[in-house]
Amino acid sequence: MSAKVIVRDLRKRYDGVEAARGVSFDIEDGEIFGLIGPNGAGKTTTLECVIGLREPDSGSIEVCGIDARRRPLDVKQRIGAALQTTSLQDKITPREALALFASFYREHAPASELLDRFGLSSKADAHFDTLSGGQRQRLALALAFVNRPELVFLDEPTSALDAQSRRDLHGEILRMKADGHTVLLTTHYIDEAEALCDRVAVIHQGTIVASGATRELMGRSSALPAVFVAATRPIEREVVASIAGADDLRCEGHTARFRTADTNRAIGQLVAALSARGIDITELHVQKASLEDIFLELTSPDAGVPGPQ
Amino acid sequence: MDAFVHQFRVSLNLHFRNRMALIYSYLFPTIFLIAFWVLYRYDRVPLARHMGELLTVTALGGACFGLPTTMVSERERGVWRRYRLAPVRTGTLLASTVAARYVLLVLAGLLQVALAMGVGMPLPNHPLDLWIAFSFVAFALLGLGLVIATLADNVPAVQALGQCIFLPMLIIGGVAVQLSSLPEWAQHVSAFFPGRYAVEAMQSSVTGQGLRVMGFSLLALLLIGLAGFVAGIRNFRWDAEQRFAQRNGKGWVAVALAAWAAVGLLAESRGRIGPIDIVPEYATPLSPPRTTAVAAAPSSSSSSSSSSSTTTTTIPPAAPATEPKTSAPATPSPAIKGERNTSTVPAKPSAEEAATPKPAPPAATPSTTGPPAPLPEPASWRAVTPAHIDEIMFERLPSDSGVVSPIARLDEPLDPDVEGDLEEVRSKLATWGPGQVADPVQRVRNVLYVAAVPDVFQIPLERYVAHVVFERLQGDVPKDDLIKLLYWVATHPNGGDDSAVDDLRSAGLKVNGPSDMDQTRERVMLYALKLLGRLVGKIPQ
Repeated sequence: MSAKVIVRDLRKRYDGVEAARGVSFDIEDGEIFGLIGPNGAGKTTTLECVIGLREPDSGSIEVCGIDARRRPLDVKQRIGAALQTTSLQDKITPREALALFASFYREHAPASELLDRFGLSSKADAHFDTLSGGQRQRLALALAFVNRPELVFLDEPTSALDAQSRRDLHGEILRMKADGHTVLLTTHYIDEAEALCDRVAVIHQGTIVASGATRELMGRSSALPAVFVAATRPIEREVVASIAGADDLRCEGHTARFRTADTNRAIGQLVAALSARGIDITELHVQKASLEDIFLELTSPDAGVPGPQ
Repeated sequence: MDAFVHQFRVSLNLHFRNRMALIYSYLFPTIFLIAFWVLYRYDRVPLARHMGELLTVTALGGACFGLPTTMVSERERGVWRRYRLAPVRTGTLLASTVAARYVLLVLAGLLQVALAMGVGMPLPNHPLDLWIAFSFVAFALLGLGLVIATLADNVPAVQALGQCIFLPMLIIGGVAVQLSSLPEWAQHVSAFFPGRYAVEAMQSSVTGQGLRVMGFSLLALLLIGLAGFVAGIRNFRWDAEQRFAQRNGKGWVAVALAAWAAVGLLAESRGRIGPIDIVPEYATPLSPPRTTAVAAAPSSSSSSSSSSSTTTTTIPPAAPATEPKTSAPATPSPAIKGERNTSTVPAKPSAEEAATPKPAPPAATPSTTGPPAPLPEPASWRAVTPAHIDEIMFERLPSDSGVVSPIARLDEPLDPDVEGDLEEVRSKLATWGPGQVADPVQRVRNVLYVAAVPDVFQIPLERYVAHVVFERLQGDVPKDDLIKLLYWVATHPNGGDDSAVDDLRSAGLKVNGPSDMDQTRERVMLYALKLLGRLVGKIPQ
C-alpha cells in the first residue's frame, strides 16, 4: 500500500501554546486511520493543518502525493472533510448547499445522488435551520463527498450526535472504507476508534505518543484482562476479594468487575464461591486490554509525555 | 466562474428569504424616502433635489451594515470556514458576494427612484449617468463595507463600527445635511468622507448635467473604493477565531484610511471644499460662452446635442468672478469673460470644473484651416445678430409642461381660480413703473421678473403669466429689438438691477420678492430664451 498522507515534524503554535509539537504519521491508501487523544491534545490542530485550514509553523505535509503547503488548492480538489460542526446559512437548503459546493470542484457528484446516499432526500428543500443535529451532520458528510474524494477527513464527526445517529454514522464510515476511500478520523471516543479504525495514533499534548494497528496497540497495554460478572442477587465484596490474584476490584449491587492475570483459575473460584452462597450467575465475560486501557496509560496525568514515536 | 455564479445566486436567494434583511434593505430606504418627502414636501419638485442624499443613505446602509453584517455573521457561524475547505479562491467568493450586494443595492436604489417618481419627481436628467454614479458609489461604499467586515470580530462590532462611520457621514459628511447648511469646518471635514462625493455625483445625474462635470467625485469614489477593496481582501478572515487584533497586515486598513485622507487633501489643494452647485441641465441652451452669461452655460458644446448648432464654438470656462450689478449691460471683459457657468448658480464652482477644458466641436461655418473662430461678441444688445441667435440650442430648454419655467399651451383652458389674478396682472402690468423705465434692457428684464417670480414660488399663476408678459413685451417693444433684448437679457442674467422684484405687488402679483435672487435670475434667463424662441420661430407657440 502507498501512503496517502505523510506528515512529518508538524509544528503549530498559537495563543502561546504549542498545539502540535513535531507530529509525524502516515496514512495508507484505503485504511481508516484514527487520531485519538483527550480534548486539547492537538488532534484538531493537526487535522486542520493537513486539510489547509491552518498554516503550520513548520513541517511537511504531503497529501495524495501533493505538497499540501505549496499547492493547497490542488489538495482540496482531491479531499473531502467534515468538521466537528458544520454550520451553513439558516435559509440554505441541502440541495442548494450541495450544488454550491459542487461548483467549487472540477469533478463532482450529482446532488440527488448524495441526498439519497446520506438519507436527506426528504429534506432536500428544507432550510438548514430546520434540520436536526443528525441531519446536519449527514449533510456535512454529503458535502465532504461532493467531489468524489480519494481521502476523507472527519473531525470528531459523532461528538454531538445521539446514539442512533452515531451508529448510522459508523455504518457510513465503514461503507467509505468498503468503497475504497481512505479516511482520517479524529475522535476522543475510544470505542469508536476501536470499532472503526485499522490503525490509530494517540496524540497527547501535541505529540504522537503511540501509533500502530489497533489490535497491536492494545497488545502493548500492561493492563490485565478484566472479568465481569452479573448475578441474581447482590455480590458481596468479600466473595470476590477471596479470589486469588483479583485486582482492581469493583462491586456494585448485582455486578462485579476485577482484573486478574490468570482468568481460568479466577473464573473457577468465582463460580464456586457464588454457587456456595446460592447466587446464580446471569452474565459472565472476560475483556482483554482495550484501546481505552492503552489510551489511559499513555495520556493519564502521571504518564508523562514521551517523545514522538 | 461556476463558483462565482452559484455563490452569487445563493447570496441573492438567501437575502430574499431573510425577513430582517428585506426590512433593512427595502423598508428602511422607503422610510427614509418618506421622511425626506415629509421634510421637503414644499420643494418645487418633490424629492428631486434630494435624490443624491437619499440614494447615498441607501447605499451606505446596504454597504456599511448589510454587507459586513452578513459576512461577519456567516464567519461567526463557521460558514466561511467551511468554504475554506473547498478549492475556491478568496477573490471568487468575495467578488460574488460583493456583486450580489451590488445588485441588492441597485434594486433598493431603483425602488427609491420609482417611489420618488410616484410622488411627483420627474425622471432623472441622466438615467444612465445615475446608474454609473450609483455604481461608483456602491464600489466605494462596498469597499468600506469590506473593511468593516475585516475590522469587526462579531456582529455587534459591525453595528458599532458602522454607526461610527454612518452617523458622521450623515451629519457632517454632506449626506443628510446639505453642505451649504454646514459650518465651514464641517465642510472641510466632509471633503475627507466619500459621502459628499456620492451625493454630488448622483445629484448631478438626477437634476444636473450628469457626470461630465463630476470627474473629481468619481475619482474620489474610485480611489476610496479601490483602497477599501485592497484592504478588505488583504485582511480577509475566514474564521471567527482569527481575531483582528491578533492578525498581521493591519497596515492595509491604514491604506484604506490613506485613500480618504488623500481625497480630502486633494480636495483641499484644489479648493474643492464648499458645496458644488448642481447646475441644471436646462441651463445649457446657450452654446458659446463668450460673455459673462454665455460662459455661464456650462460645457454645453461638449455634449453631443451641441451638434444641433451649426456654429457652435466654445471658450473653456474658468473661475468665477463677481459681476457688478449695474443697470447697464455687462460688457465682456477678460475677467468677466472668464466667469464660469453659473448664471443660475452663484457659488463657487469646483476647481475641477473650472479647470476642465471643453473641446470645441467643429463648426459648420466655412473654415478651411484651423478651428472655427468664435463669433465676435456683441458689444451691446443692438449688436446682436441672427448668427448669435442661431447659436442657442432651444431644444435644451426645460419643457413647457415641466415644473421649471412652465408655460401653458395657448389652447389650454384657464383655471377659473387663476383667471382673475391673471387679469389683474395684465391690467397692472400695462402701467407698472419698472416696466416703463427708459433703459430697454432693464425694462425687458423687469417685465420678465413678473414671469420668473411666480415660477420660483410655484404659485398657480406661474403657467399662464408668461403669456401676459409676452403680450406686454410684444406690445411695448418692436419685434427686432425684442429679439435682441431677450438675447441680451438671457446672456446677461446677472446684469442689471433687481429692485423690481420688490415691487411685484404693483404688477398684480400677490408675492413678495424671493430671497433667492440667483434662482430668480435663472428663471429670467429661461423665460427670456423661451420667449425669444417663440419670436424667432424656434419654439412653437
